[in-house]
Amino acid sequence: MNQFFYLIPALTILTGALTLMFMSMYEKFTVKNFIIVSSLFLIIALGFTLSNINSSYSVQPFESLLNGVLTFDTFSNFFNILLIAGTLLTLLIGEHYFQHRSYFKGEFFSILLFALFGMMLLAYANELITAYIALEIASFSVYIMVGYNSDDSKRVEAIFKYLVLGSFIGAFYLLGVVLIYGATQSTNLADISKFISMANSNEMILVYIGLTLMLFTFLFKIAAFPFQAWVLDVYRGAPMVITAYMASIFKIAIFSFFLRTILSYISPIIDFWDEILTIIIVLTLVFGTWLAITQQIVKRMLAASSIVHTGYLLLAFIALSYKDGQIINIDSAYATMFYLIAYLLSALGTFGLASHIISETNIKVTYDDFKGLAKQRPFLAAMMTIFLLSLAGIPSTIGFIGKFYVFTEAINAGYIVLTTIAIFATIVSVYYYFKLIAMMYFYPPKDECISEEFNDKRVSTYAIAFVAILTILGGIGSAIVFFIPAMNIDEIINLAQLAVQSLFIK
Amino acid sequence: MSSDILSFIIFLPAIVAIGLMLTTRDVNTIRNIAFLTTTVILALVLKIYIEFIPSAGMQFVTNIPWIESYGINYYIGLDGFSLTILMMIAILIPTSYLLLWEGKTKGYWINMLLVQSGVTGTLLSLDIVLFYFFWEIMLLPVFLLIGQYGFDNKVFTTIKVTVYTMAGSLLMFVSIMYLGVAYQHEFGIWSFSYDKLMQITTISYDIKVWLFLGFLVAFGIKIPIFPLHTWIMETYKNAPTGAVFLLSSIMAKLGIYAIVRFMIPLFPEIYIEFSTWLVAIGLFGLIYFGIAALMQDDIKRMFAYSSASHLSFISAGIFSLNSYGINGALYLIIAHAIATGALFLLVGLMHEQTGFKTIKDLGGIAKKAPIFTFIFAVMLFANVGLPGTNGFVSELLIIFGIYEFNHTLGYIATLTVIIGASYMLWMFQRAILQNRPEGLKELVMRDLKIKEIIGLIPWVILIFLMGFYPEIFLNKFEPTVTHYLNDILQIGASK
Repeated sequence: MNQFFYLIPALTILTGALTLMFMSMYEKFTVKNFIIVSSLFLIIALGFTLSNINSSYSVQPFESLLNGVLTFDTFSNFFNILLIAGTLLTLLIGEHYFQHRSYFKGEFFSILLFALFGMMLLAYANELITAYIALEIASFSVYIMVGYNSDDSKRVEAIFKYLVLGSFIGAFYLLGVVLIYGATQSTNLADISKFISMANSNEMILVYIGLTLMLFTFLFKIAAFPFQAWVLDVYRGAPMVITAYMASIFKIAIFSFFLRTILSYISPIIDFWDEILTIIIVLTLVFGTWLAITQQIVKRMLAASSIVHTGYLLLAFIALSYKDGQIINIDSAYATMFYLIAYLLSALGTFGLASHIISETNIKVTYDDFKGLAKQRPFLAAMMTIFLLSLAGIPSTIGFIGKFYVFTEAINAGYIVLTTIAIFATIVSVYYYFKLIAMMYFYPPKDECISEEFNDKRVSTYAIAFVAILTILGGIGSAIVFFIPAMNIDEIINLAQLAVQSLFIK
Repeated sequence: MSSDILSFIIFLPAIVAIGLMLTTRDVNTIRNIAFLTTTVILALVLKIYIEFIPSAGMQFVTNIPWIESYGINYYIGLDGFSLTILMMIAILIPTSYLLLWEGKTKGYWINMLLVQSGVTGTLLSLDIVLFYFFWEIMLLPVFLLIGQYGFDNKVFTTIKVTVYTMAGSLLMFVSIMYLGVAYQHEFGIWSFSYDKLMQITTISYDIKVWLFLGFLVAFGIKIPIFPLHTWIMETYKNAPTGAVFLLSSIMAKLGIYAIVRFMIPLFPEIYIEFSTWLVAIGLFGLIYFGIAALMQDDIKRMFAYSSASHLSFISAGIFSLNSYGINGALYLIIAHAIATGALFLLVGLMHEQTGFKTIKDLGGIAKKAPIFTFIFAVMLFANVGLPGTNGFVSELLIIFGIYEFNHTLGYIATLTVIIGASYMLWMFQRAILQNRPEGLKELVMRDLKIKEIIGLIPWVILIFLMGFYPEIFLNKFEPTVTHYLNDILQIGASK
């Protein structure tokens, strides 16, 4: 019974997904009903995950049934909290958008929960085939959701590009698994880890090749340099809310699995990829920056800038290193996790807010469409500004703290030149983020964008405001405003620390 | 309470600004509340000024952990340097409100309040990350001010100034993080307090030069030091009066303050090695900007160059690293803030009323607005450094300082004062005094109102008071300077 407790969050989500699927057979349920039901399941699951937040544990329940392929520990719990909370926020922020687009029907919400289920499994997985299945559950759900945007002619391009390329890169992953299996006779990461610690360099060749192929999948999913080509078109063609979902939450799930693999299983050989990652980071930053400054459509700009943020994340990733039988610079893992949270909040905020603004209209959201927003809807413009400042890493937002952690850790690991390049990317990013702020504040509105009536007293607005408050709180913390009792910034790092330490409970 | 008073001074304007943002009162009420806030702060600062003990080092210190995992503290405090500038800010801002009184919108006042929070925070931070935090934040309200209330090509200007200054700050950010990491490597714990970072001994010479340059770029852009000045002409020309006032009178001074507070103590030996170059660059900037000012026709651009020229002079004084130079520079910081601040505000008034921007369109103001002309003249003479004004005392001290540093540079410094006098007086003669030539458009200009005169009178008094009795002001910060110089030279010599 005690073991069953750990399974509850994932099972709740699965039950929720199935319930929604059955509900979608009936015509009488409205979109609102679906939102309420799915939020309910998400809140229950979130409650269960939150109840474990401070305890340090690592179990593999029902050994005979699950065969030790899933590890339930503080680490997976940490990521599950992010995933569930992120999905819940996406749902609430998207409420307005869902209600004004006729193509969002019941099954959409079922798919959303299935995607979440896949990601949660990915966070638990410690076996390569399981991880692949989990990844594909999530990916396929996202493929479908990308194609929902039936108002937009770009959606066919988006879904096919993503589906074909995603499946193609999935094949790389499988090939990698096969090669690793060939060398180690196992797909369980614990066995692979044992093999790595004992093998001599000749036997390792296949493992290196296999892991490199898996690295490609990783880079594709997080949109790092050679595999970033799909991002702009897919993000552009997908419904706005789903873009937010892909940009922030899917990335977290991918990182959860690869962080687990690296920290806990293949740590002795991680320095093998340092050179290749260095090049990838530089190119990711340069290319992402170049793409971002050339875009006219805000959605594409944000998509391109998400490539730059991937570069920052990889910067903390590369700082992890192995020496004398243990991982050094393990703090950079916390920095990665913190940055994921920071990016989750800011990206969800920007994409979500853009989706909220365009809910009732059908415009493309170019820079021009944002002109004069501050005069029409000052609070939305203020919140958008907060999110953009956070993305640009201006102090007093969580984005600044995230960047501070990541860059400090990178310098700590000796990657000074790389950090300086990242700083230059940040300088340019100030330009394209501030351009949007300038559009909102310094221009009169365009005639066709003046909508006479809009109701901003709705769930979406409150959810966005909530995210905005979190963004600010995460950047200021309780120390500066010591007269307001609020969460300390350190709290998040402490939780991340606890989570990472649970990986080493044997 | 005595230690929390600084936090109160920092955050009061921001809190009031947020409160005002949520209200729907009319502009007049908002402006009155904002003005009241600044006067409350002035009163508090006066209280601090009286309680301050010159010989005691850091005072009113608050030091509580902010981000513990990286040893970042909310560490604020006050010594002779910061007190002087804090006093200056507290006096300048309320009076500037009186001159900006009419015809502004709600956003204008809210941004003015936010800037005050930002600059005060920057001034009082002793933890370098906290300093960076405020340093970046103080730019955002200015960004909004220029973009919303500026002239001509305002959006381009505002983006340019933001990216320009952020570029500098971010390069400094790399240096800051490197220092923190170096401290952690050496002592095993994280800290970003400036006094802790001063103890680092492990950084190699080459790296130190780079770190030094990282700081220099950030501060050099804000001041601006030649050749990092290319943003100011356009910005000062297109920005609204309030923003120009803030940038030239207050933020530029913070750049100099930051050099004194962080850059020199952190890298004393690098600094001593480069000081000849830096003083020379300062003097070159003085001459270069002076000659450029001589050739301007747009009156705001002229003042932009003149301001840059004076700031170069101040930097030269700071860089000379002796007690004359630094005391004089600190004195000139105040003198220049008062004089230039007032001149920018007066020019703003003139521009608002006449609609003319260039010197050749103006002329004949003296007849229409005698009080305006009188105060303008006082500020101008203070700026030029006429004996009896505070400008004279400070320029003299700086020249002494540079002379002691290097005789040749001292002679050059003496000569350069003439350039300052020439462009100022020539402009004054053409724009204000001379009779209006026939055939020009009619000049619409009213004289100063009582409110504006009341705002300016304290400044006029200060100019003369500081000119005739410098001791009462110098005594407040001279012990800090002496102490500081001893420390720096000791550390620099010991390394």
